[in-house]
Amino acid sequence: PYGSQYGGTAPSSAPRGQYGGSAPSGYAPYGGAAVPPGGQYAGGAGQGGPYGGQFGPGGAPGAPYGGGQAPGGPYSGGYGGQPQGGPYGQQAPAGNVPPGVNPEAHQWFQTVDTDHSGSITLKELKQALVNSNWSAFNDETCLMMINMFDKTKSGRMDLFGFSALWVFMQQWRQLFQQYDRDRSGCINGTELHQALSQMGYNLSPQFTETVVAKYVTRPGQPASIQLDRFIQVCTQLQSMTQAFREKDSGMTGNLRMSYEDFLSTTVNRLIGGSYNYCSGSTFSKR
Amino acid sequence: MAYHTGSPYRGSQQQYNNAAPGPDQGFLWNIFQRVDKDRSGVISDTELQHALSNGTWTPFNPVTVRSIISMFDRENKGGVNFSEFAGVWKYITDWQNIFRTYDRDNSGFIDKNELKQALTGFGYRLSDQFYSTLIEKFDRQRKGQVAFDDFIQCCIVLQRLTDVFRRYDTDQDGWIQVSYEQYLSMVFNVV
Repeated sequence: PYGSQYGGTAPSSAPRGQYGGSAPSGYAPYGGAAVPPGGQYAGGAGQGGPYGGQFGPGGAPGAPYGGGQAPGGPYSGGYGGQPQGGPYGQQAPAGNVPPGVNPEAHQWFQTVDTDHSGSITLKELKQALVNSNWSAFNDETCLMMINMFDKTKSGRMDLFGFSALWVFMQQWRQLFQQYDRDRSGCINGTELHQALSQMGYNLSPQFTETVVAKYVTRPGQPASIQLDRFIQVCTQLQSMTQAFREKDSGMTGNLRMSYEDFLSTTVNRLIGGSYNYCSGSTFSKR
Repeated sequence: MAYHTGSPYRGSQQQYNNAAPGPDQGFLWNIFQRVDKDRSGVISDTELQHALSNGTWTPFNPVTVRSIISMFDRENKGGVNFSEFAGVWKYITDWQNIFRTYDRDNSGFIDKNELKQALTGFGYRLSDQFYSTLIEKFDRQRKGQVAFDDFIQCCIVLQRLTDVFRRYDTDQDGWIQVSYEQYLSMVFNVV
């Protein structure tokens, strides 16, 4: 394998072949029709659905503040299972809410910041975020969120980052609920496909099925995802779409890429939990 | 100091040294029982994470832990049983030996040049600029270098991306032509 065009496998004992799953032939060819305005991708500024252009090129949140609606029903336990307050923006900002910070988020910040350090760690965030069946958000999604909203790259989120996250959460939650018609707390591949279509993504049903199948936790169960995975999937999709768009200058929907081009385009856009956060200050000492 | 004495398992370096090169079943069972804190017979992500050390006194990268467990967890049960644990053990010690080879000053971190040497040793031919990208992306502790756990994660991601690229590069010329959805499918297999 040495000296070949690609890297080899190291160490040699690493199991191989477990990353399969989607054969290229499984994808429907693109038709000329059904292309949303502005091209084949979603996520561009000014087109493509409610979340289009929400993130800047660096994945930095640029969400407008105050866009959320109070979720009702089974989702009311958004943070730590405590009841949500009234509609946003109605109450007078409590005393010392800094400008640009959502008053409701400000209140929640005090609750979530259990050690009152003035910033939120992964552990605190994980305790605060729950899916509708009360299961905690998975680590990857929490880490991803901290990465996205931690402007100081300290591995912690300050009040401003938390406020932005809070607004972001309401929006994702609302969208998720809209497609979780039976209020099961999960959406399946078909429902995910509908949600993504509404957001302007032109993807095949096979694609969303493959994505959902990846997150099946127990064998034999129907493939579906909860809110945390939904947020993870949508955010990754947005980032990878941006990566493709940047290269596809002619907006043809097709790219010719060299090996290293593919690697660097993709690695640059990785936003999962294992990239670049400061673990030293994120976790409390055991 | 960092990086302990090299064993990925806290407090078990002595057994590790004694057992090298090939740990026997009794040795592994001993370790397994200590790591399996709740005695469920299956080591979970959290249990493995607590048992692993990246040598820098920070918690082991949870995503690396997830990657490793998912490689060996055959029934998708969210953990590894004893027979699967033997594979996990070997996998981690193999990586550790590689890491130690390149971490010459035993600092617990490898820098860009060392990363380049390691990956070149695996057969990768990548530009200098790309190594900078890798360091930037996988250096979770923001030291301009990568720790053991992040090094593994970096290699796993690189290997997965290479594997998926290969599958699409049917004529093996180092170039692929992909549609938007094909690209997403490639990447979603990896991340």
